[in-house]
Amino acid sequence: MGVAAADAPVDRVIELAVDVPLAAFVLRVNGTLSSAFTAIMGPSGSGKTSLLETLAGLRPNARGRIAVDGAVLLDTSRRVRLPPERRRVGYVPQDAGLFPHLTAGGNVAFGARARRERVETAIEILGLRALLGRSPVSLSGGERQRVALARALASDPRVLLLDEPLAALDVGLRERVLPYLMRVRDEWNVPILYVTHNVGEALALAGEVLLLREGQVDALGAPLDLLSTEGLVRDAERGLENLLRGRVAAHDDAGGVTRVDVGGGLTISIPLVARAVGNIVTLAIRAEDIVVATEHPAALSARNVFEARIESVERTGVDVTLRCAVGRGPRPWLVRLTPAAVRAMELRVGTPVWLAIKSHSVHVV
Amino acid sequence: MPTREEWGIVLFTIRIATLATLLLLPIGVGVGFALARYRGPGKGVVETLVSLPLVLPPTAVGIVLLQILSRRNTLGAWLAARGIDVVFTWKAVLVATMVMAFPLLVRSARTAFEEVDPRLVGIARTLGCGPLGAFFRVTLPLAWRGVLAGTVLAFSRALGEFGATVMVAGNIPGKTQTLALAIFHDTQTGHEDRAMVLVAVTVTLAFAALWTTEWVSRRRTRRSIA
Amino acid sequence: MRTIAALILGLFLAVPTTSWTASEELLVFAAASLTDALKDVGRLYEAAGGDHVVFNFGASSDLSRQIVAGAPADVFFSADTARMDEVERAGLVAHADRVDVLSNVLAVIVPKASAAPPKTAADLVAFHHIALADPEAVPAGVYARTYLQSAGVWDRIRDAVVPAVDVRAALAAVEGEHADAGIVYRTDAATSSRVRVAFEVPRDAVPRIVYPVAPIAASKKKGTPALVRYLTGPEAVKVYERYGFLVLVGK
Repeated sequence: MGVAAADAPVDRVIELAVDVPLAAFVLRVNGTLSSAFTAIMGPSGSGKTSLLETLAGLRPNARGRIAVDGAVLLDTSRRVRLPPERRRVGYVPQDAGLFPHLTAGGNVAFGARARRERVETAIEILGLRALLGRSPVSLSGGERQRVALARALASDPRVLLLDEPLAALDVGLRERVLPYLMRVRDEWNVPILYVTHNVGEALALAGEVLLLREGQVDALGAPLDLLSTEGLVRDAERGLENLLRGRVAAHDDAGGVTRVDVGGGLTISIPLVARAVGNIVTLAIRAEDIVVATEHPAALSARNVFEARIESVERTGVDVTLRCAVGRGPRPWLVRLTPAAVRAMELRVGTPVWLAIKSHSVHVV
Repeated sequence: MPTREEWGIVLFTIRIATLATLLLLPIGVGVGFALARYRGPGKGVVETLVSLPLVLPPTAVGIVLLQILSRRNTLGAWLAARGIDVVFTWKAVLVATMVMAFPLLVRSARTAFEEVDPRLVGIARTLGCGPLGAFFRVTLPLAWRGVLAGTVLAFSRALGEFGATVMVAGNIPGKTQTLALAIFHDTQTGHEDRAMVLVAVTVTLAFAALWTTEWVSRRRTRRSIA
Repeated sequence: MRTIAALILGLFLAVPTTSWTASEELLVFAAASLTDALKDVGRLYEAAGGDHVVFNFGASSDLSRQIVAGAPADVFFSADTARMDEVERAGLVAHADRVDVLSNVLAVIVPKASAAPPKTAADLVAFHHIALADPEAVPAGVYARTYLQSAGVWDRIRDAVVPAVDVRAALAAVEGEHADAGIVYRTDAATSSRVRVAFEVPRDAVPRIVYPVAPIAASKKKGTPALVRYLTGPEAVKVYERYGFLVLVGK
């Protein structure tokens, strides 16, 4: 994966202060999105799609204020409510939403402001040249998403709203479409709002993450911070991931191991990967995969053993979550244990411990 | 073989049916679309009213029309004051035919529009279409087969309309006599052989119209998001 | 499902089937212009101990066609001899059984509120819709057409003619002001308060109007001859005269 351009300095701002009555609750979002690429995440039914629809102008009972780069799309207090056709938003719903009665090319050119050059550029960026004459029903899921994306781009939007574009695709297809998304992000100067469940996608693409739960904003901030701590600690059903970003330091072909420098003086061994030395990688370690020892473990198969200090002990559902400061790492690691283990080893705040992780338990995101 | 006069009756019948269908198209499609999308109060009432001519005996509809158009009532008096004669003229045939064929068109159109995924309209709007643009560029192209089937059905009904027509337009040879009325008249005046000739023509026309409807219907596929 | 079946069964069982029973009930097919008079006669007949009489009123041309096609009429009371001849030709009426009962007078009528009623046949040229019983077949219409032809105005007014299914329908068209003039029997005009007689057609300007009655030969009902006798008898005559018919029988 390439360097994320999402952290580049930004002159794009999306101001949100909306209330939208939905079937189960009222979606209430207040915040300013200032990244070129914002991932919107949260449990199913938390209002993510409704938020996109509100921005697109497809929710007539939304109240409040929406401004994109200073252009006011909605301002109930001033009786401003732009209809969807005047908002210039590019909306790509979850199932692509292609018009079945038009060819792929017809779909891309559909937008009212689809000038020839824009259409051509969109076709180029999304690699659709060969598909233009095909009917939507004959396209694969990934091809449809690309056509829908090109269609949205060609209409000269001021913001792109993508609703889980890769959700229905298998892993192989996902890998193929992801680069297109990155091209769009990097080459097309439009802020993107991207609904996803997939942590890897968010990490690869987003400059900031908006977490929703039951219509309320749980958090808004940098991906690495949010995805490893905030929302997830409280959400005990979801896997707790420790996310670490690092640089490939060295390969040990004979040993079948790649070493990754994750900063703070820590080097993590993972199974051999085909990434060049110096490449940035993101690693995920599940909280339940970490073994805790109160003495330095000897004769252990695990390649990764680190000294740490327990910062907090929290009951999360039926388990206990420990927050441990590891080395000089930027943020604490999460470890999930059974209460029995915690009791048996008398683990408390301040206890010095060693954390052991098999290299196979470290996943490349 | 039909005589020249009888061909005249056939031509008159086809012309009236065609004109009725053409005039009904914008109204029927519009009402059908409104009924497909609108969910508020009063929708049930409108639907029932629209379907009434389908369920009532045609003669009952004819009497109601006669009352409405009568000189002694508001609309009839208004028309009479402007020298517009409707009852017992071809205009009455047109009105009766349109009223009886209307529900068929509306119901078919409504079903066709209901089959179009409304999310596609939302997407079209975000791409820059106004409501009218979205209707003509997305909804109608996806619903056209159903609308066409409804149109042919309405046309077939218009060809054969009798009960309401005879009430409000009379059975005046050369002026308001459609095929159906002519068959009745020939039978009443003892010319059953001429009536059979007209029956043969009617069967042919009806066959052609219905076969077209079937053919269009068979090619309809469910239109939703690809 | 069972309830629906029960309801349907009940629907058919509950309908009074008196008209389908075998008890003596006589069916009379009669010209529309005789509607009110014959209903009175029928009531008197029953009150005097006669059979129950059911009437089918309509254009004599329709009725003769139905009888020839096999309709189960017991008596036919026509508004002209031509229709009776049709039934006789079909072998359904014996010539000897025919009795000429009534005559009538044609009247040109207009809606009550009409501003300029016609005074002669020629005046009719100015009218837009002239309601007649179908001039091709129905007796009242045939009489009217013959009159207008002999008056020399038929070709000029035939475009304005609105053929009605029988003479009462023509009357209704004028009553409802859908037609601005019409030609019906004087007796029909008398039954309606919403039309005015503009003028009566002189009897010599029309071919002889004759209403014959006859029993249908195929009728096996025992009460038929008695009914026909009553229809041509003194009590019935009183009723006809009250309604304005000209009586031929007994003269």
